[in-house]
Amino acid sequence: MRTKQNKREDLSMSEKHSMSEEHSMSEEHSMSEEHSTSKEYSISVIHALGRIFDTGITYIILLAVSFLFFFPCLWLILASFSESGTIYSFNGFFPKAYSLASFQRLFTDIAMYNYPRWFANTLFVAAGSCILGTFLVILTAYTMSRFEFRARKPIMKTTMVLSMFPSFMGMIVVYLLMTQFNLINHLWGLILIYSAGAPMGYLTQKGFFDTIPRAIDEAARIDGATNFQVFTKINLPLSRPIIVYTLLTSFTWPWSDFILPKLLLKEKNLYTVAVGLMSLDETEFARFAAGSVFIAVPIVLLYFVLVKNMVKGMAQGAVKG
Amino acid sequence: MKGKMEQAAGLLRDSGPNVKLSIVIMGGGQFKYGARGKGILFFLIQLSVLYYFITRGFADIAGFFTLGTKKGDAWLGVTGDNSVVMLLMGIFAWLVLAAFLYLYAMNIGDAYRMKKRLEQGRRILTLREEAMQLWDKKFYVTVLILPVAGVFVFNVLPIIFMILIAFTNYGGTVVPPELVDWVGAANFVKLLSLSQFAPTFVKILGWNLLWAVAATVLNYFAGLGLALLLDKDCVKGKAFWRMFPVLAYAIPGFITLLAFKFMFSYGGPVNQLITAGGGAAIGFLDLDAKWTARLIGIVVNCWISTPSIMLLATGILSNRDISLYEAARIDGAGKWKQFLRITMPFVLFSTLPVLIGQFVGNFNNFGIFYFLRGGLYMDGYFLASDTDLLINWLYNLSINNNYYCLGAAISLVIFVITSIISLTVYIKSPSYREEDTFR
Repeated sequence: MRTKQNKREDLSMSEKHSMSEEHSMSEEHSMSEEHSTSKEYSISVIHALGRIFDTGITYIILLAVSFLFFFPCLWLILASFSESGTIYSFNGFFPKAYSLASFQRLFTDIAMYNYPRWFANTLFVAAGSCILGTFLVILTAYTMSRFEFRARKPIMKTTMVLSMFPSFMGMIVVYLLMTQFNLINHLWGLILIYSAGAPMGYLTQKGFFDTIPRAIDEAARIDGATNFQVFTKINLPLSRPIIVYTLLTSFTWPWSDFILPKLLLKEKNLYTVAVGLMSLDETEFARFAAGSVFIAVPIVLLYFVLVKNMVKGMAQGAVKG
Repeated sequence: MKGKMEQAAGLLRDSGPNVKLSIVIMGGGQFKYGARGKGILFFLIQLSVLYYFITRGFADIAGFFTLGTKKGDAWLGVTGDNSVVMLLMGIFAWLVLAAFLYLYAMNIGDAYRMKKRLEQGRRILTLREEAMQLWDKKFYVTVLILPVAGVFVFNVLPIIFMILIAFTNYGGTVVPPELVDWVGAANFVKLLSLSQFAPTFVKILGWNLLWAVAATVLNYFAGLGLALLLDKDCVKGKAFWRMFPVLAYAIPGFITLLAFKFMFSYGGPVNQLITAGGGAAIGFLDLDAKWTARLIGIVVNCWISTPSIMLLATGILSNRDISLYEAARIDGAGKWKQFLRITMPFVLFSTLPVLIGQFVGNFNNFGIFYFLRGGLYMDGYFLASDTDLLINWLYNLSINNNYYCLGAAISLVIFVITSIISLTVYIKSPSYREEDTFR
């Protein structure tokens, strides 16, 4: 741990140093500017203009991209508030009149389409596979990144080869076998399949662990920490961004998957939202939109809670090998 | 091979009576050396495996080869053989055999190591000590058991099953209680030569390759570009700007796809605007809309996949070594050069596996055309349409029309193609060859 602190201090020292350097440089700059010829002056103006231009372009692109991403969402959100159910009564992209009717029907008119039930099922499956799956993936990735053992390269190659098989065909086989043994219509079966398959996607996480320098590990090992302690006390705190990424992806996958639930859940009360919304009649566009908007909400909320971890990783402050 | 044989023979000569006992009775040597618990454990394994093979294992292995001989007859009250179950049980029996052989070898090696330890004057480790060792020194074994077991049951087994199915005539009318048979490579021959399948196969394969490359390149660079754009110092309120792609990311894919289908449908908003402007409605996803439908597919797929790559790239960019950039700036490298020489290698190194994964994922992108155009069957195609990828064809064949064995054969073909392409890329890549560079 000591080495880390030292490095931290070094870093902050060098930061201060570079800051003061910049400071003095800018002072020099301004001093020379006073006595500068017009040529040098115009160069700095061009630089400033270039920066403004660059910023402008950046913002224009950002605006365009944001619009591209936002517009279909807005369309769907407004459609969910439309008064009439079908898309044909819209005025171009947007409904003519707005009301909360579709949301109301979504949760009260449950004789045909039991949306609250579907929602609960989806939440159960997604949360279960998210926790179990993340646990397995992180452990696998960490082990594959940090330990040298005989089976390591073979395992890496095998998973690589296995992931080339269309997972879809595996699902068909699982479906065939589950029907053969009467194991369909169980929600926990879905959780099991999702989380058991999750370690196959360990490569991203391994890539992240690879970038965390091993110097800290070795120092801790010398200080007498066990491998388990090295993992929990040192590497886990440093890998929050990738854990958040894993949590999010392993939550969204079951949350929005439709093939497996469609194959394995034949009972209407066990449907997940995906299968349920697909079973909606074509005339129920507003209900579809409302249902879609509603299941997008938890993930958007999750994002707002987790964004800080996800983006600026703490690893930036750690020792670089 | 020969060297190994000699080595084994050497070990055998070197082994004492206790090790030889372990060769005959598993755990016997360990028991005599005083490691009672371990010896009994090994012996119990041997007993239970023997019991399994005598009661049903041998019959299961035989069933694996015959796939059933007795056909069921409901009239006569004969319960026949279920070929699918027999195949599965046969696979299981082989696996038990393999596991047993592994444990057997482990047992001999263990006894041999005990002998060596005693010869060197060290005492034999107790079971408890070995457990502790497993926890710390062999941490990776303990940790990997659960994931490996899970992957094995839910990924490897189905894949083995599928590979085997590709060599049977399972499907069509031949499903239990009918008896399934081994047919060798007949399914592949059908796929490549029969006029019913071959033209469809070639056409779909060509489009599938084009699609996978185009979609992957577009998504990857769009995602990376977006991440770099948001990472710029001049962008204020990064969280706000990032919200929009993530909004797109958060919406489940099937909803997006169905929504886009509505958007481009005849009565949808795009066509409403066109007709309002005096034009005629366009069938963007119609039967004859080959290239517009394909283009819409690529664009919509980009809309769906870019945010996830952006998030990943952002995470990876946050791990960058900032000092490298400072050094580059001092050395006078421009922005573009910094991007090419520092950012790209670093990002590529970290994301190449993901890139390959994206390629495979796009190659097997089932949802996109299933939802956008789903279920169209066209002239000139056997149970498929001109936007369908191999995976869609596979679905049509095996789920909708029960051609299980053909479906399995196609998935093997998909496997061969994707694995050849990605393995070459992966093995030639720095992520594999210079795994330690960025550590």
